[in-house]
Amino acid sequence: MLRSSGPMPAVAFAGEVCQPPDVIASVQFKHFKALRATSLRMEPFNLLIGPNGSGKTSLVQAFLRLRTLAARAPANGQSAAPPPPAVETPAPRRPNGVPEIIFRFPPPFADIEVHLGGHSEHRLDLLQVRHPPGGDAEARWEQLRTKLSGIRAYLFDHYAMAGPVAPADSGELASNGRNIAAVIAAMQAQPTPAFARLQAEFCRALPEFTGVVPRPAEAGGLELALRLKDGGELVAAENISQGALYTLAMLTLSFSPRPPTVLCLEEADRGVHPRLLREVRDALYRLSYPTSYGETREAVQIVATTHSPFLLDLFREHPEEIVIASKQGRSATFARLSDRPDAAEILAEGSLGDLWFSGILGGVPEE
Amino acid sequence: MKVALLSESPADEAALRVLVEAVLSETIVLVQPGLRARGWPNVAQVLPAILRHLHFNTDAAGLVVVVDADDSVVHTAEHEAPGYFHPQCRLCQLRGIFRKTQKRFPPLHGRDRVLRAVGLAVPAIEAWYLCGQDVQVTELAWAEGQALGLAPYTRRELKWRVYGTDRPNLGFEIQRAVESVRRHRGDLRRLETDFPQGFGRMAHDLRDWRQTAPRE
Repeated sequence: MLRSSGPMPAVAFAGEVCQPPDVIASVQFKHFKALRATSLRMEPFNLLIGPNGSGKTSLVQAFLRLRTLAARAPANGQSAAPPPPAVETPAPRRPNGVPEIIFRFPPPFADIEVHLGGHSEHRLDLLQVRHPPGGDAEARWEQLRTKLSGIRAYLFDHYAMAGPVAPADSGELASNGRNIAAVIAAMQAQPTPAFARLQAEFCRALPEFTGVVPRPAEAGGLELALRLKDGGELVAAENISQGALYTLAMLTLSFSPRPPTVLCLEEADRGVHPRLLREVRDALYRLSYPTSYGETREAVQIVATTHSPFLLDLFREHPEEIVIASKQGRSATFARLSDRPDAAEILAEGSLGDLWFSGILGGVPEE
Repeated sequence: MKVALLSESPADEAALRVLVEAVLSETIVLVQPGLRARGWPNVAQVLPAILRHLHFNTDAAGLVVVVDADDSVVHTAEHEAPGYFHPQCRLCQLRGIFRKTQKRFPPLHGRDRVLRAVGLAVPAIEAWYLCGQDVQVTELAWAEGQALGLAPYTRRELKWRVYGTDRPNLGFEIQRAVESVRRHRGDLRRLETDFPQGFGRMAHDLRDWRQTAPRE
């Protein structure tokens, strides 16, 4: 008789290719808020789970700080700190230590390191770029700096999304999604199929709608409306559910012709029905694995946070994409689920969301 | 015939409907479309409540449940012996839940109980989708690999073979699922040969319905 003895090892197959992260390879934290001493290897897609206060948002803040300070950095890659000293200069001793965040990058930027530092764990204002001397490395730092300028973080606000917006405010989706009507109108005006694909995907996910309609609002502005399947009536964004608007915002990013290079999305599940979370995952995967979706643009590195066991369930086949943030006292650490030696056995035992809730994966509040 | 389907996703449900109609040789009326479970063991957890609901609150003639075997024990002919129950076989477990849950149900809506059809996709439903296209993917190949401790393929690999990626979007997954199973509509023998326990037993259950299910 056959016996189940845990997951079987499998032979490798040709279709499986390991896509390296596109922008950030790893990040190391020292004395930054709750992240006292931890590091994280970054994947193309990263889903962070963990209790409140376990450093998920701090990771996003670190990325945003990297973008801001890298934009200020001089071209020769030295300290961008206003004013000196740079992070290497000894700082006054503090009981909690000097905060430092070290970013490393994938090839062809693997010999470049960026150190963020500061005199307070709540304010990082020093940046130092370390790379080999020479024009080649400086040119690559410039290239990397351009990529870093594309880091974006989103936390959607349905009240802001429902309001009117100036048509000219259509460059890129704002961090709270407030200009979604203008961004979608601009997509619609382009001679590309992006808008049609966005609309088709949205209406497939929410079949009660048949159209996404940016329309004129008061004072020359634009507002968003959705066309109902039943009767064809247009419903203004202020009367549309939070989850529908957030799903539309994620699809807008997903089909954007110029998406961010790194996209941080806080509470990716917020307001969305558990059964619609598959659409959320797909929208994000379209960004981070574009070739799997027939897209030809560059991959977007994703950092998403969630408290939803239902969203987590959708990543069972990809434990390497799950980051568990755990907190002990005032200190938090990150760990990848796939780095656990018993990950395969654990995943064979039940749903990932249930296992997380049980506490055996970590990433649960202290009681 | 009024039938309910319990599946893990809209793609599974769409494919399952095609297969059930092919076995029954008739168009089914779906009772309570969109019954979902979140994989194993959630299927086993929600099944008693779903059976109770279907029995008392609907006139469904039968319920079809298909689960992925993943790395669990594959159902074999041995398990079909009278009174036999393999505690690690998901098909045996689901049959046991049907039996235990409905044991004390009173006859209602013109039937004694909701009829049972249970399938086990070995190791995942994508294996069924590949039937006839990839001769290496069969229940026997998986069972032999299990006995040797070396899987001939993984669930991720099956997804690659079906969708060209292991991260398909839902719309494409539904499209490929339906396309794949429609190939078998006219002749299910290949599916029953390559997947005799997981698919074959479900087809056998469904054919038994013809004698017992109430007609409209």
